[in-house]
Amino acid sequence: MTAAGLYLHVPFCTSVCPYCDFAVTIAGPQRRASYLDAFDLEIGRATARGLRFDTVYLGGGTPSSLGPGPLGRIVGRVRERLDVASGAVWHLEVNPEDVSPVAAESWRDLGFDFASLGVQSFDDAELAFLGRRHGADGARRAARTLLDAGFPTVSLDLIFGLPGQTRDRWRRQLETALELGAQHLSCYQLTVHDGTVFGRRHRRGELDELAEDEQAELYLLAHEILGAAGWESYEVSSFAAAPHHRSRHNQKYWDHTPYLGLGPSAHSFDGRTRWWNRRKLRLWAAALEAGESPVEGEERLDDEALFAEAVMLGLRTAAGIDLGRLRDRFGAAVAVVDEPAVDRLVAGGWLVRDGDRLRPTPPGMAVADAVVRAVLA
Amino acid sequence: MPPRHPPVAPGTMKNTRSFCIIAHIDHGKSTLADRLIQSCGGVDERDFRDQILDSMDIERERGITIKSNSVTLNYTARDGETYRLNLIDTPGHVDFSHEVRRSLMSCEGALLLVDAAQGVEAQTVANMYLALEYDLEIVPVINKIDLPSADIERVKEEIEEDLGLEAEHAVLCSAKTGKGIVDVLEAIVTRLPPPAGDPEAPLQAMIFDAQYDPYRGAVLLCRVQQGRLRPGQSALLMHTGKRYDVEEVGLLQLKRVSVPELDAGSVGYVIAGIKSVSDIEVGDTITDARSPAAAPLPGYKEAKPVVFSSIYPMSTEEYPELVRALEKLKLNDAALIYEKDSSAALGFGFRCGFLGLLHLEVVQERLRREYDLSLILSAPSVRYRVTTTAGETVWVDNPSYYPNPGQIDHVEEPYIKASVMMPERYLGPVMELCRERRGEGTTFTYLAVGRVELTSEMPLAEVIFDFYDRLKSTTQGYGSFDYEMLDYRATDLVKVDILVNGEPVDALSQLVHRERARGRALHYCERLEETIPRQQFKIAIQGAIGGDIIARKTINAFRKDVTAKCYGGDITRKRKLLEKQKKGKKRMKMVGNVEIPQSAFIAVLKTDKD
Ligand SMILES: Nc1nc2c(ncn2[C@@H]2O[C@H](COP(=O)(O)OP(=O)(O)O)[C@@H](O)[C@H]2O)c(=O)[nH]1
Ligand code: SF4
Ligand SMILES: [Mg+2]
Repeated sequence: MTAAGLYLHVPFCTSVCPYCDFAVTIAGPQRRASYLDAFDLEIGRATARGLRFDTVYLGGGTPSSLGPGPLGRIVGRVRERLDVASGAVWHLEVNPEDVSPVAAESWRDLGFDFASLGVQSFDDAELAFLGRRHGADGARRAARTLLDAGFPTVSLDLIFGLPGQTRDRWRRQLETALELGAQHLSCYQLTVHDGTVFGRRHRRGELDELAEDEQAELYLLAHEILGAAGWESYEVSSFAAAPHHRSRHNQKYWDHTPYLGLGPSAHSFDGRTRWWNRRKLRLWAAALEAGESPVEGEERLDDEALFAEAVMLGLRTAAGIDLGRLRDRFGAAVAVVDEPAVDRLVAGGWLVRDGDRLRPTPPGMAVADAVVRAVLA
Repeated sequence: MPPRHPPVAPGTMKNTRSFCIIAHIDHGKSTLADRLIQSCGGVDERDFRDQILDSMDIERERGITIKSNSVTLNYTARDGETYRLNLIDTPGHVDFSHEVRRSLMSCEGALLLVDAAQGVEAQTVANMYLALEYDLEIVPVINKIDLPSADIERVKEEIEEDLGLEAEHAVLCSAKTGKGIVDVLEAIVTRLPPPAGDPEAPLQAMIFDAQYDPYRGAVLLCRVQQGRLRPGQSALLMHTGKRYDVEEVGLLQLKRVSVPELDAGSVGYVIAGIKSVSDIEVGDTITDARSPAAAPLPGYKEAKPVVFSSIYPMSTEEYPELVRALEKLKLNDAALIYEKDSSAALGFGFRCGFLGLLHLEVVQERLRREYDLSLILSAPSVRYRVTTTAGETVWVDNPSYYPNPGQIDHVEEPYIKASVMMPERYLGPVMELCRERRGEGTTFTYLAVGRVELTSEMPLAEVIFDFYDRLKSTTQGYGSFDYEMLDYRATDLVKVDILVNGEPVDALSQLVHRERARGRALHYCERLEETIPRQQFKIAIQGAIGGDIIARKTINAFRKDVTAKCYGGDITRKRKLLEKQKKGKKRMKMVGNVEIPQSAFIAVLKTDKD
């Protein structure tokens, strides 16, 4: 059986970015301490599952803000209590303001080998708009420090599609990332969510979203520039300098490999059932302290739902979906696609058909949601 | 404890008063009715709810009255006698003016209610003229005197100057606080005349509305003009010629209270084994088949539908439900007519006829609300008279059946005489609006200082689109509108088709005057451009007359539509959204290979001003 992925959610940030809709909180030392205690408890409960992991991912929030002590404690507990394969990839999300040569070295020493750095942009004006705590210089410096520290893969998060962002400006961000020598990029389009500061500003008419055609241009520009540099785009937002720099952990989400999520709001999946923890730090911790499960809900997926997910997730990746395999997995009655729609998508250049395999083209990736809607009968 | 206001024995015509309340919207008609009912002990405190006479949800929500209603109250006056008061609540919109007129005919008097802060307004005037047409005794009542902004003296002046009524004895009240309600009741008793009909003469009873009861069938609301109406009689409906055996008669006291007989001057209900409301005609006269009256009461007019539109269920699976829903609705709505229809784009549906646009909206709303149906309506149309080159006359209200232009000799369209009453200051803009709407022979007369009535002969087709809304905004709500059918006049009609990627969408076709064709086609194209989501390919939207393209818009292919992040927790959410959208996909109509959402069919019917 393929090994599972382990996700550990660290919900802390020093301030909340105006576009962020993650489960994050600005907590004082006390709540951080109770978080770590609760985490121990949850790790303890997880041992019973008997899973073997070959990827471990610390995400958030801002795991790098934990500081070497608490981070070491979590890592130590995981190694101690859970079955993590020796060749596992350890993935850490890092914010620039937490990066220093000392910190980077401590993360390497803890065994992290994939660092995702939340630079978002190398432009001071853009960073100010995004409400980030670092500037362009800090972003560059942090990237260099991580690379110098010898992480096998350094990934940078970039946000595009800011109001008024031009092609040139976006091009400069991508070129800077390449010049710095990053091996992986996650390029996220700025999304305005309800319930965020940007969401409120948008509702009041103070924040314009970029028009669809411009968004598409910026997105395809990333494909163009990174493609020219020999990179691959293996998922709608994910680009790797070479196949071995892909995120093995994220891949598990996209191909229905089981994963276990610990921490507030974390989701888990065993191939059939998906369940999720309480989102609020306090409630999650209280449940664990009371010796109870912190799980808030679960859903068991029937074949129809699994098939829909397989199509939805598969068509977001460069590998696409294999209709023959899906029929084998779910049966011909369930694995049904809207054939005329598929033909139209192929004719329109959104999909490429290769035997039983359907793969999205870059313009197809830009409209993956629409493609999925059309393909599902 | 004996009731405070004991019931009145039949045969006491001199102690009967029948009246309605006429008012501009929001001046407090429903509230006053509530108060009158309460102070006569007409309803148990615990059964009471606000706006009690508006029984349909849609009436209560929109604050409009669609069906007439009546309530009989017992009131012991200061003179020590007990009176039977019939309050008849009338609809307030031109679409239902038929019912309004019938209701007014059943009254001797009217309370003319004026808001003490707002003063006389458009509908106050319009309704007063209507009441005068029926010779009703009018008692001015100034309401909302509790408001700090009440200006009773100014309102009295307006009543005298704008309405020409004597305002010195206007009754002052607050329907909200209850102050002055007894004065209102006393004014009804002392200032309105009793009914005049002869109880011993042959029966004549006017049907002013009808309700539907699932167990008893049609319940006719009527007012006995002369004679007596009682169970066991054989009722003859003089216009339709149908006979029914009277099973029950009674008074409407918020519930039905059966009585041995309704005599001259009574207002009440009749149940006579009539299956549905559509079996009878509002305005018809009931007489006794054994000793019939010589003639029916005057004022009968068939309620003819003037606006036609096709209704399709959003998903074809809902068709059987639509059939059942229309059947049921029809039981309660005599004016609604429908027949089977089908569209290449939308499948099976019904061609329906309505009294006007509000009636159409009400029917659509009831289908949605009471039957949970999601519907698409085609553009409303009037009925045209087409003379073919072969000399035949065909009536066309459905663009699908419009003959080939080569076979048409000439076409005529229905004209109405529109009348608008308004303060003088709006005359210019309203005349302009009428001119825009192809109004002819527009004239005006002064009703009083500063008030004019404008009349204009206009194509009905120009009125059904959005005239009423435009008029309201042009006159800031002060304009009142009424119309009557006039005649048919020659017109230059064309059929405008809407094509989506070259495919005509029959449900979007419409018949319009040639001058209007381009504007209307462009309006449709623009609305479709806004509401059809981007799809995998470019979509051309065109308006055409025959082979000529007169308007065009393009929807580009989709270019960016993808959620940026899709990790552990995002997957469930995203799949759920997808499942919802999949249901939505069923609610899309495929035309050729283009998916058109229901909202597009609705959007095209909205005007630019909305
Ligand atoms: N202050 C005050 N408000 C009133 C009075 N009568 C009615 N209203 C309010 O005026 C509004 C319109 O009343 P309604 O009876 O629905 O008016 P309708 O449209 O004529 O039926 C409602 O909000 C009532 O509560 C009154 O005597 N005094
Ligand atoms: S740093 Fe990341 S997780 Fe924290 S608030 Fe900003 S966007 Fe959200
Ligand atoms: Mg009302």
